[in-house]
Amino acid sequence: MEKKIPWTIKYRPKKISDVVDQEQAKQRILEWLKKWPNVEKRALLLYGPPGVGKSSLVEAVANELGYELIELNASDSRRREDIERSVMRASVTRSLTSQHSAKKIIFLDEVDGIATKEDAGGIEAIIKLIKTSSVPIIMAANDPWDPKLRPLREVCEMIQFKKLTKDEILLILRRICANEGLKCDDDVLNYIIERSEGDLRAAINDLEVLYEGRSKATLAEAKILLRPRDKSHDPFETLRMLFSANYAWQAKSVLNQSQLDYEQFKLWLEENIAYQYRDLEDLSRAYDALSKADVYLGRIVKTGDWDLLAYAIDMMTVGVAFSAKKNPKDKYRWVKYSFPQRLLLASKLKEVREVFDDIAKLISTKLHISSSAAKSDVIPILRAIFTSNPQIAARIALWLGLSEKMVELLAGPNKNQVLEYYKQLKKYLYQQAVEEKEKIPAHETQRSSSETHKKEEKSSKSLLSFVKK
Amino acid sequence: MSSKLEELLWVEKYRPKSLKDIVNQEEVVKRLMKFVEEKNMPHLLFAGPPGTGKTTAALALAHDLYGEEWRKYVLELNASDERGITVIRTKVKEFARSKVPGDIPFKIVVLDEADNMTADAQQALRRIMEMYVETTRFILIANYPSKIIDPIQSRCASFRFVPLKKEDIVYRLKWICSQEKVKCYDDALEVIYEISQGDMRKAINILQAASTLGEVTISNVYKVVGLAHPKEVREIIQLALAGKFIEARDRLRELMITYGLSGSDVLKQMHREIFSADLKIPEDARVILADYIGEIQFRIIEGADDEVQLTALLAKITLLGSKTLR
Repeated sequence: MEKKIPWTIKYRPKKISDVVDQEQAKQRILEWLKKWPNVEKRALLLYGPPGVGKSSLVEAVANELGYELIELNASDSRRREDIERSVMRASVTRSLTSQHSAKKIIFLDEVDGIATKEDAGGIEAIIKLIKTSSVPIIMAANDPWDPKLRPLREVCEMIQFKKLTKDEILLILRRICANEGLKCDDDVLNYIIERSEGDLRAAINDLEVLYEGRSKATLAEAKILLRPRDKSHDPFETLRMLFSANYAWQAKSVLNQSQLDYEQFKLWLEENIAYQYRDLEDLSRAYDALSKADVYLGRIVKTGDWDLLAYAIDMMTVGVAFSAKKNPKDKYRWVKYSFPQRLLLASKLKEVREVFDDIAKLISTKLHISSSAAKSDVIPILRAIFTSNPQIAARIALWLGLSEKMVELLAGPNKNQVLEYYKQLKKYLYQQAVEEKEKIPAHETQRSSSETHKKEEKSSKSLLSFVKK
Repeated sequence: MSSKLEELLWVEKYRPKSLKDIVNQEEVVKRLMKFVEEKNMPHLLFAGPPGTGKTTAALALAHDLYGEEWRKYVLELNASDERGITVIRTKVKEFARSKVPGDIPFKIVVLDEADNMTADAQQALRRIMEMYVETTRFILIANYPSKIIDPIQSRCASFRFVPLKKEDIVYRLKWICSQEKVKCYDDALEVIYEISQGDMRKAINILQAASTLGEVTISNVYKVVGLAHPKEVREIIQLALAGKFIEARDRLRELMITYGLSGSDVLKQMHREIFSADLKIPEDARVILADYIGEIQFRIIEGADDEVQLTALLAKITLLGSKTLR
């Protein structure tokens, strides 16, 4: 008897051309592999909804180009040690078993499944792996926008996989039907495709379930056999469903079916309300609803009272969805949504704030004032000085003991000039210190050394002519 | 060697080292000198507006009591920077442990911005002051003496610092300019006084910044004040009022990144801007804007998210602009 393997595996693409569509992704992956290791980003992150061919394409690529594929996926443990043990070895050492060093690809599937708790240090381990690996690394994720994955996004080239169209899925299902000798009615196939929402794997699974042990099935049977599936929507779908909701209950249920939690959703709304609603009154009303939701969320943190969450969610779903009173048709407008910019900016902002905090601390000890007074009274004055006189700025920087990063932030457009002077000053001081040190044991040659010292002083004078008033 | 290359901020460079160098606050200085003579002092409370010489007087007093080594015997704390009263207690405890060599039996704790402490923290402070009274004296510094609880006030000798007079400030600025060999004009110094409102620290800072442009002229003074307070916030408000919401939001994000501002920082600056004559809007719109900004500040204090709230504020300002300006 023929060995039974699931159709999703049986019909997995063997060649790159077997993978349906995703032409752009194919091209980018192949180019990247060709250039590796001379690539801008040392790893790829393939993302897109489930069942559109991410893993399949990687396997097909490896298969066709003769790479050995080293795989880890979410069902494996992702703790730091596991990653280090199983992959580091493969990546750093060349193959021991074969004489010729076999080409390898490391493939980490479902990286968005890395839960911070169980997979302690998982992300850090992956990033370390990316930095040290002698082998190309490809990762896949459904939702790459999880804040936890931010450090990963920064080191990866991101390649998007599109949802498959109905026609593309239909073509494949028909091919399988023919190959398995089934008589598949179009209305049944269409029903399956409708349910799949562009997920080919789900469609093939449904097909197999329905035709298990028989060659014919009706639409009525399909509706009974194929139970509704819980789907979670990506951020873009979630937004679209929310804005276009016609009933309050629809708007409220949006979050239950989303990949986003309410905190993430809040940020997506903050970014995108402005694109959906054109009328200023509608826009302002929607943002006010979001703002109120946000106040409830703040109170939850303050009071620990989670009962308030219901109201927060009401405001951010129903409140936002029914704000288009002036221009009700805007609800259904198709707009291109944007990833929340503030998530991209957050780390930068944090870094800048920390530098300013550190500057304030330095000032507060020197001037006997509080850090907040340093921030409000002194930093603005320093900024004025740093943008108007780079030489004096450099000398003040020396007195305060500022780091170069601090100088950059204070000097803004003038940073190169100020830094230049600052480096000259420090270099000069360093040389002085070295000379002082050398002078100590040289009692006998004191005269000659003092003469050379004079000479050097003269030359450094010209270098430092700018410090003189 | 390095001292020649370093440029100090003039507020520090020209801070009077000794009580006798302090030219104003004569009454206060006279009484403080008595403590130096007697080599003894009670706890002190220095109260008055910023930039009137409170910290300077405290440090000068320490200098005159202990001599050049005074820093060893002074612990400077800032109530708004220390994290809680327990931190203060630990530091004071540590500091009070070692004895003072010489004829003065106590050390000094200078606690700045004491009026920023909650009433509870002040109660705890009172106990600390009592606990270590044999080895330490406190100099509490505050802008508003009324915010210091009575039990502390009654344990301290109180000193009031008054805002400096125009002549005092102009005279001092002129003297600094002569020391620095910087050319300055009287009308420019008067403008500095107007801007600084009797706050010597502010005045000297502006003076130094203006001098980095060359001479201290009126135009240079205004120039540095402009540099110190960038007009981005005003431009953001103007963009929003003109209905350009998305641009305003982009600019706001950029501003926060460049200057590392928090939501409250931005709101404070916005509040200043809406009453500026350079923002040309109907007068009643200023009130409406103040109300919006206040409401958003309130929401942030309630624990809401800075950026969501600022975005919502921009949306409201945009709407207001479309109603009142077009």
